[in-house]
Amino acid sequence: MRVFKLLPLSLVVFSFSLAQEIVSKRVQEVPLDPLSKVWDTAPTVNVSLAGQSVTTPMQLKPSVTKISVKSINDGKYIGFLLVWEDKTRDSFHLVGKFSDAVAVQVPYKPSADTSVTMGDKNQRVLILHWTAARQENIDNDYSDVAKIHPNYAYDWYPHVNPPYKYPKDWANQYALNYIGGEKVFRKNTLNTPVREVVAEGYGSSTWKDVQGAEGKGIYKDGKWYVVIKRAFTEENTSNPDWGPGKTTFVTFAVWDGSNGEVGARKSLSYSWIPLKIEGR
Amino acid sequence: MAKAFNWQLNREVDYPYEPKRPKRQFAVVMDLNKCIACQTCTVACKTTWTPGRGQEYMLWNNVETKPWGFYPLGWDVKLLELLGGNKKTVFDAPEGEVVLGWKPDDLDWMYPNIGEDEVNEPVDVGTVLEKLPHPIWMFYLPRICNHCTYPACVAACPRQAIYKREEDGIVLIDPERCEGYQECVKACPYKKTMFNFVARISQKCIGCFPRVEEGLQPQCVITCIGKIRLMGFINPPDEAKAENPIDFLVHIKKVALPLYPQTGLEPNVYYIPPINVPLKFLRQMFGGGAEHAVKTYMAMRKGKEPELQALLHLFGSTPRIPYSFAVGANEVIAFDGKGKEIVRVPIVEPIQYRPHKDERLGVVRQDIP
Repeated sequence: MRVFKLLPLSLVVFSFSLAQEIVSKRVQEVPLDPLSKVWDTAPTVNVSLAGQSVTTPMQLKPSVTKISVKSINDGKYIGFLLVWEDKTRDSFHLVGKFSDAVAVQVPYKPSADTSVTMGDKNQRVLILHWTAARQENIDNDYSDVAKIHPNYAYDWYPHVNPPYKYPKDWANQYALNYIGGEKVFRKNTLNTPVREVVAEGYGSSTWKDVQGAEGKGIYKDGKWYVVIKRAFTEENTSNPDWGPGKTTFVTFAVWDGSNGEVGARKSLSYSWIPLKIEGR
Repeated sequence: MAKAFNWQLNREVDYPYEPKRPKRQFAVVMDLNKCIACQTCTVACKTTWTPGRGQEYMLWNNVETKPWGFYPLGWDVKLLELLGGNKKTVFDAPEGEVVLGWKPDDLDWMYPNIGEDEVNEPVDVGTVLEKLPHPIWMFYLPRICNHCTYPACVAACPRQAIYKREEDGIVLIDPERCEGYQECVKACPYKKTMFNFVARISQKCIGCFPRVEEGLQPQCVITCIGKIRLMGFINPPDEAKAENPIDFLVHIKKVALPLYPQTGLEPNVYYIPPINVPLKFLRQMFGGGAEHAVKTYMAMRKGKEPELQALLHLFGSTPRIPYSFAVGANEVIAFDGKGKEIVRVPIVEPIQYRPHKDERLGVVRQDIP
């Protein structure tokens, strides 16, 4: 019942975005740097976002309601520059604290009939998810206990030697058991701030075995500037049907960590925006 | 929302998933009259399961002093405020939420032993504690995950990363599905799911499932030096078996009560309430059955409940899970799932009289009182 009450709100957003279109300009090479001049070649598209109100838990009071998007491609890679205002820089994922994040969603089959809420059965979507916490790990070393609580004291950890640096010294099986196993360890030691997940409906998002997406985020003057970059086709894994000369669809989602936004609590663009990829 | 029958409230509660009771339900009974807060259980659990990175603050088993102890800070006071006492269950959630909950801050977890040994109010000069219940009181409350029949953590997880096992009702978080959203931490009214910020996943008491699978009771149960705990499997009241020790304590004698049953989750750790504590507080914490439980326990102390007295001797007497028990002449016997005897405990141990003077050796004994 709650869902239906909120649907009209999302339909307003829906009609707005129908007229929009993102053109992915062809360039020599897609840069990782969000401040690179190469991005100037692409037109800016401002996309409206609304709080996630389709499934629980919802975000009925999101703090980010618009994001500006640019896209470029070099025939092999596609890149998105995502810029949005956020008064607080939240770069940590801690107890009761969440990280700022942004995501791009692409359907596997380029059809606007794909369910916009993270796909559906046989309507798979690819989600490229950048988080400030992963960026922080890469830029300033892993957010380990010693970094977050510099004055902490702890008697003893089994099976590892001081000074107990996670993740470097924690790749032995005994220690892994205490931090959730090898898969969790691999997720945490990913050397890119962007993770690739596939989904067939909300609640189903699952990490891909191959993680090829790259990215970089910079926080400057109250704004996040984030680049998400991925090869159209990655080896040894499934890929969306997209590439130069093709048109597919995208949507975006933003999380403001200090507003308690994580997982389903986010703001998103509620309709597919056509993405015209230049080149042949 | 589906309707789930909650026998502790004797009514249906809303639950997001179709209710399905497991084949067997993990349950622990703790006798609060005997807990001395030695924290041996806490240490046993800590060294077994949570000595790792990011788990420094985690106590899957903790012992707090009531009324002023909390882990995390103020957890049950906040719960009572949220529920309006007992007007709501945690599934009476506001718009956009699955569960009525609150999210502890990291500082809330930093004082696991706050309020230790503190009594309910300042003691006047000349106060004498001569009658039960005491006007000045406190007691120790050991807590583990309740492995609820209708877990709030399972309901709240948007990724379905938490599941309740069919074979024993133990509630587990799948570390590979968990993304650390902490919805379970917010949802659990008992605050028994915790976030590991190094592994970036939530973690919780696993009911020592590798032990339970071997027919053994959990670490916190068997290491208890006060012998206050007994783990077994509980049946719903209409299927209660008098020979099942947990059923006997919870359903037949009704001396063991759930903690804050008004949450609606059907928690499966049952407490024998402390008889020194005024009923008003016990009712708030353990529900309407508190008076009957205290009366039965008092009667047992006077020798009027021999079966109950015998069964309490099984607590801490065997590492194996007792499925059934029998009371013999001056002994209580426990049996495993196949009906095989696992332990035989004397109720009154034989007295050995050793005189001060050893006539045979012609010496005086130094080691007797």
